[in-house]
Amino acid sequence: MSKRRKLATWLVALVALHGIIACAGFFAPYGPVAQDRDHPYAPPSKLHFLDTQGRVHIRPFFYALRMREGLSDRYGEDTSRRIPLKFFVDGIRYKLLGWVPCSLHLFGADDARIYLLGSDGYGRDQLARVLYGGQVSLLAGWLGVGITIFLGLVIGAAAGYYGGWRDEILMRFAELFLALPWLYLLFGLRAFLPLAVSPLKAFLLIVVVSGTLGWARPAKLVRGVVLSAKERDFVRAARGFGASDEYLFRRHILPETSSVLLTQAAILVPQYVLAEMTLSFLGLGVPEPVASWGNLLANLQQYSVLMSYWWMYLPVLAIVPFFLSYFGVASALQEWADFSKIGA
Amino acid sequence: MQPLIQVEHLVKCYSGRNVPGDGEVGPALNDVSFSVAPGRTLALVGESGSGKSTLALCLAGLERPTSGRINFGGHDIVALDEKQLRAVRPQIQLVFQDPVSSLNPRFTALEILTEPLIVQRRGGRNERRERALTLLECVGLSREMADRGTGELSGGQRQRLAIARALSLAPKVLILDEALSALDCSVQAQIANLLMELQSSFALTYLFITHDLVMAAHLSDEIAVMDRGRVVEQGVPEKVLRAPEHEATRRLMAAVPGSNVTPRLPRAL
Amino acid sequence: MRFLLRRLIHAVFLLFGVSILTFLFSSLAPGDYFGEMRLDPHIAPETVTALRAQYQLDQPLPVRYARWMKSVVHGDLGFSFSYNSPVGPLLWVRARNTLLLTVTATLLTWGLALPLGVWSAERLGHLPDTLISWTMAGLLVVPDLALALGLLLFAVRSGWFPTGGLASIGFDSLSPLDKLRDLALHMILPVVVLVLTALPLVVRHVRAAMAGVLDAPFLRAARGHGIRRHRLLYRYALPAAANPLISLFGFSIGALLSSSLLVEVVMSWPGMGPFLVEAILSRDLYVVIGGVLLSTLFLVAGNFGADLLLYWADPRIRTEPEAK
Repeated sequence: MSKRRKLATWLVALVALHGIIACAGFFAPYGPVAQDRDHPYAPPSKLHFLDTQGRVHIRPFFYALRMREGLSDRYGEDTSRRIPLKFFVDGIRYKLLGWVPCSLHLFGADDARIYLLGSDGYGRDQLARVLYGGQVSLLAGWLGVGITIFLGLVIGAAAGYYGGWRDEILMRFAELFLALPWLYLLFGLRAFLPLAVSPLKAFLLIVVVSGTLGWARPAKLVRGVVLSAKERDFVRAARGFGASDEYLFRRHILPETSSVLLTQAAILVPQYVLAEMTLSFLGLGVPEPVASWGNLLANLQQYSVLMSYWWMYLPVLAIVPFFLSYFGVASALQEWADFSKIGA
Repeated sequence: MQPLIQVEHLVKCYSGRNVPGDGEVGPALNDVSFSVAPGRTLALVGESGSGKSTLALCLAGLERPTSGRINFGGHDIVALDEKQLRAVRPQIQLVFQDPVSSLNPRFTALEILTEPLIVQRRGGRNERRERALTLLECVGLSREMADRGTGELSGGQRQRLAIARALSLAPKVLILDEALSALDCSVQAQIANLLMELQSSFALTYLFITHDLVMAAHLSDEIAVMDRGRVVEQGVPEKVLRAPEHEATRRLMAAVPGSNVTPRLPRAL
Repeated sequence: MRFLLRRLIHAVFLLFGVSILTFLFSSLAPGDYFGEMRLDPHIAPETVTALRAQYQLDQPLPVRYARWMKSVVHGDLGFSFSYNSPVGPLLWVRARNTLLLTVTATLLTWGLALPLGVWSAERLGHLPDTLISWTMAGLLVVPDLALALGLLLFAVRSGWFPTGGLASIGFDSLSPLDKLRDLALHMILPVVVLVLTALPLVVRHVRAAMAGVLDAPFLRAARGHGIRRHRLLYRYALPAAANPLISLFGFSIGALLSSSLLVEVVMSWPGMGPFLVEAILSRDLYVVIGGVLLSTLFLVAGNFGADLLLYWADPRIRTEPEAK
């Protein structure tokens, strides 16, 4: 039973993380494309509880940033005015989950913009870009994995069920895809498709490209499951009652593939998200101004950014809790599958 | 009496892969002929590799013989196509050796029992449920077990369930492919008794496949010994055990512990 | 012997398959290198057509493939439009650099993973094993992109390591030993990223394989004979566990090549990675195809090497009857 509990905990973590991303509008104080040309490359706002006179305040506050000329540290805090951090504020309008018009934000402030993760060259709030960018990257991962799982199921089931020459050809084809370094393939394929496209098109391109390249491993696994399930006595028995191929597949063989497919999905989603990040990072993926985790990191390729604006690195860490949760779910699923196999 | 099943010159060659049992080169069934009278039990005894599993599969319509005839109910099963075969299938059912692998672990007992009825499209949901519960009682299980998964059942209970499933379509013939071999000794006796009861209750014909010569002698009216795809000796149990003619029979006798035990009295006809 | 022959044919088949695939993908491209030129009002359309004909881009696909295949067999990988020179030499220089990185990373990875995995398996469930497992799990969760960027950030901020390239300015005037040191300094960070990315999976597999073997009766017998622990582990146990590990080795090469692509770009290592990305962005067709093919060649060669290793290490392969 603890295996189930383990799986449940990881799933809860995963759902919570995705929930935050899904409700990006609520958790971010501003939109992802709103520019603030007065504050390019602002460092993360420091939250204080102690003011300049040594008084403690329960509500955290921060100071507005003023540009300083001529110093390497561009901004200084304007300590003349405390700007308290307010929670559950009314801010700019957005659509919750892309559908419900809303204007409530988790936190915000009057008079000045708070940059919890700093701002980029156009003064856009990095926190907002991370949250909204997560929507793009995670969605790309999910859709791509959906395509891959579907292809893997169809091809693997066909190979396993029909056997013979169909199996041979399909598996040789799969080996080809498995043998190649995936990133090179991804790049190669991306290379030959139009480069300068709209964000939506680019997004779809990435999804389709990564989805169609990764089918080989799921297909092989599904094939293995189908091959062994086909030979099981209970399948034979069902055939002995006069069951059709379609019935056998639907009722007996397909359920056996579910655990393999779920585990594969849990393993592949982070990989696909990473693929999107890599492509976008190099300018081959989702273009500006749409934020994705990948293109948020793109300007880290500039030496000056690395040198002076360290907070631009922070978005990379956003993916780590996601990776962790997905791996947790995948290994819990794996353990559960092994465990139930022994029991039966 | 007209035999219920008549097998004539059955030959089965495998092409290399997917060979059940010990998979040797050469035909699995090499000109097998025998017949079974209705209501009787014929035991097919042989070592592994002798072709008995292949024979079971051919008789149940799960493998196509390379040549030969299987006469049942006026038809030659071998010559039927899949559609015609579907009408015949309910009448010959198979009980497998391993009750763990022959029952889908994801199904409940009820689902297992109603599956044949669903596949053959007999009756509505309630009728199927009733029939399943009745079957449970027939094999000595309680009606409450219907919604349990197979993981909660013991080996003996599982095999009872498998037998109940085989009976769901009211077959005329039950092929028991080593159906007792995977069970503990004490359970074997119980299930064997159950089978005997069922045979008289439902006027079933049994084809009892085993490697245990003594068990065969105890349960059957006639024994046919198989060796390397052929029937090498046939006769009533007493004769086969007391005066084995073929070397294969002698080997089987030697394999059974305490094989100098004389068989019981013949069962009443 | 037949085993090796089969693997060789398999490798050749793979290369063929990839070359066809890449060529096929190239035909999907709407427009080609000269498509951009066509939009330029200063260049006459006739010039573009003439250029196209010169580079034979106007021929149908099978013809182009056949021509290209023929030239590849003669060692000519095509022509780079951007650099206006043959692809081959350009690629080889970069490939050499990539190999330098990946071979070093592979050696280090396995050099670390074997002792770590063996030690873990030996002390299964105890503190060393738990520590190593947790560290590896932690590493697994951090993607190579994060690691590469992070180390780059560190290099820039600390100034301890060079932030890119293969050699410092004034490299040629250094003594051989200093040259080596300079190279090593440039290599450290990229290699570290590659090793840290590849290590978790390999350690896990070594651990699993060794754990399976350490229980075997023949090993217990050997221990009973009083053979020393070190010899026992590495001369007796490891070869028995080698089979799945060698397959993993083949697989890890592919993963490493993919990783190196990214790492080279991020850390400005002049290998095939940045070259390929540049070619993609400028639509330099034959460079892209050549690059993909070359990387496949490395992969296939590496896998074949793994097969050779397997053949040498596992006597069962040699005596196995042709079952399949």
